[in-house]
Amino acid sequence: MHEHWKDDNFEDFPIAMAYVPWQKFERLYDDLEKGYCAGTIFPELDKPFTGRRCV
Amino acid sequence: MGDREQLLRDIGIADFVLTELVLYLDTHPHDCKAMEYFNHYNRIKLQMEKEFSQKYYPLNTRYAESGKEWRWGAAPLPWEGACA
Repeated sequence: MHEHWKDDNFEDFPIAMAYVPWQKFERLYDDLEKGYCAGTIFPELDKPFTGRRCV
Repeated sequence: MGDREQLLRDIGIADFVLTELVLYLDTHPHDCKAMEYFNHYNRIKLQMEKEFSQKYYPLNTRYAESGKEWRWGAAPLPWEGACA
């Protein structure tokens, strides 16, 4: 059976299911203290919660 | 912030970086770049823990080797407000 969860071809995914795209390692925060305070060392995952929508 | 507090905070930051890299590597076990980062910060953290334990008090029993006096009990207790 093809393991859909291992690839990123969303067009091929079965419909009506929820998927999370794979994180790709780019870089860490240069200032790790900033990451410590933000709750993640990955800038691409630093998504402040506004209470309404994603940033 | 004194030297002791600064070093303890740096250890906390390194520990957090390692936790993040562990979570990433759990789902990306073949990512060499992430493993290099993990090895790098793991070495730094171990070095800082060792330094802190020699200078102030053992952070865990791995660093509690003692000579004249049992040092494990030298650490301030959580309710003494020194854990931050």
